[in-house]
Amino acid sequence: MSDYVVSLLVRIGVEAFVALSAYLLLVIGRISFGQQAFFVIGGYAAGISTALYGAPLPIGIIVGALAAGLAAALFAGAMARAGGIYFAAGSLARGELARVALLSFHHQVPVGADLTGPAGADGFRGIRALFTSGMSVTAYMVAIWGLLALTFLAIALLLRSRWGEAIRMVGEDETAAAAVGVRVGRVAGLTMVGAGALAGMGGGLFAHYATYLEPGHADVMLGVHSLAYAFIGGLGTPLGPIIGVAFDIGLLESFRFLAGYRMIIFGGLVMALLVLRPRGLLDEVTVHRVTRRLAGRRA
Amino acid sequence: MVDFLQALVDGVMLGATYALLGLGFTLIFGVLRRLNLAFGPTILVGIYAGSHVGLAWPGALAAVMAVTVAAAILAGIYVERCSFRALSRQAPVVSMISTFAVWMQLQELVSLFAASRTMPYPSPAWLPAVAAGPILLRSDALLMWSGATAIMLALFVLLYRTRFGTAVRAVADSSEAATLMGVNVAAVGAAAFLVASAVGGLAGVLIAQSQQQVTPYFGLWATVKGLTAMLLGGAGSLSGAVVGGVILGVVETQTLWHFGGQWRDLAAYALLFLVVALSPRARGEPSL
Repeated sequence: MSDYVVSLLVRIGVEAFVALSAYLLLVIGRISFGQQAFFVIGGYAAGISTALYGAPLPIGIIVGALAAGLAAALFAGAMARAGGIYFAAGSLARGELARVALLSFHHQVPVGADLTGPAGADGFRGIRALFTSGMSVTAYMVAIWGLLALTFLAIALLLRSRWGEAIRMVGEDETAAAAVGVRVGRVAGLTMVGAGALAGMGGGLFAHYATYLEPGHADVMLGVHSLAYAFIGGLGTPLGPIIGVAFDIGLLESFRFLAGYRMIIFGGLVMALLVLRPRGLLDEVTVHRVTRRLAGRRA
Repeated sequence: MVDFLQALVDGVMLGATYALLGLGFTLIFGVLRRLNLAFGPTILVGIYAGSHVGLAWPGALAAVMAVTVAAAILAGIYVERCSFRALSRQAPVVSMISTFAVWMQLQELVSLFAASRTMPYPSPAWLPAVAAGPILLRSDALLMWSGATAIMLALFVLLYRTRFGTAVRAVADSSEAATLMGVNVAAVGAAAFLVASAVGGLAGVLIAQSQQQVTPYFGLWATVKGLTAMLLGGAGSLSGAVVGGVILGVVETQTLWHFGGQWRDLAAYALLFLVVALSPRARGEPSL
């Protein structure tokens, strides 16, 4: 596999985590423009634990996911019951808060001969745990996709379970869900924590591939794209957001002649889909039909 | 004490433009019950167009202003057609999601036609600064404040003293009742959108002449300022948006004076976050 294909697959895999994170929130009926906050929090935390304190790579990724989950828990504490434009506005503020806060976040310690660590606007260089571990980039890409497959399976199983039923009920109608005994605040809060941890895991994986992170990685367009992916691929299945990412990065970004027009085409596509198929290509109805047909064939 | 007063005066002047942005947001949200996140980016298109005119004909200030407002209105019409009219039968959040898709397009569009990331914007440099005792009133800030106040007065006259204004407020109050009274709700919605875009374009002129430059980041910046002003004043209230804008301006300049530049944006975003987290209305709001 050429280096270019590997790098493309790494990027698709990493952004799929953020897209799944935004998707989980859509399932509970919340629109978040701010999942990029948990992406950078996870990335910085993972980078700090490996580059500054010598943690092995897998531990670093876990630390990143935990840190992002913790940040999401704090956020959920303040916002779990807010909905509609209030949640959307709060998530927008959160994403920008993370970016602006990182601009003045300095935490450098001497590692070997030089200082390593987040240096405000200059970013966080030297996250080299992947390359010092001797793992090849191709193997890392396979590991990312393995993790992504596991995450996809876990979300798909979760959504089919009793818990998943409660989650989807919260998304449909909170009052009705509460009336039949669903603890809305707890379900929404836990989903937000899980979504935050997922984005954080993506951040940790990205940080070790790029070896470098900066506050600019918390750009609002990352959060906005992650949300759009679900609306392209479809809200009926966690496969939807992954398809959306693959389409955007795999297709639009790899066509050189589209350079400069990518956002215009991508934005136009999202707008057209919202008119034609407001819940994406693989919406709930399509997914239901397909699964019924597959089940019928098996029976 | 002088520092505090100076920051307060600066804040009120800056806040006047935030109030304008908040009013634009409120007009659209009040009438259509939908959030237009592309409001900032439509102003961005206007300012970039104005900046190009300023580069081509230095000194033609009136032309720069006219082009800025006209381009903002054109971009506003595009947003209205694509994200509001085409989606009027669907849930309000679908429009909100569509506006950020337009946002991506508009932001990419201005970058395509810009020679550099930062574009200059002309300002009337001949205006003198005014000193009122120990307080200094910068000419660009004075222009911002007086311009914004004049536009606000005109807007309030339009909304509270004309038939059109009555129709707008009737639709904002209850679109069903307005329909029964013979108001053409769709037409009023589109007209309110136009007015909001024009107000946004004028606010853009005032802000850009003060900053004298613009980057593609302005779209997000203006959306966040307008959204904060609107939500601070209680979503949907016109006078609330004015108060919210002024509060935001004062909070920003006070943090700037007392803590330094890097805390200013942090304070603004923290304020938006607190408003959303503490707002009693947030809890009653249905989710999707």
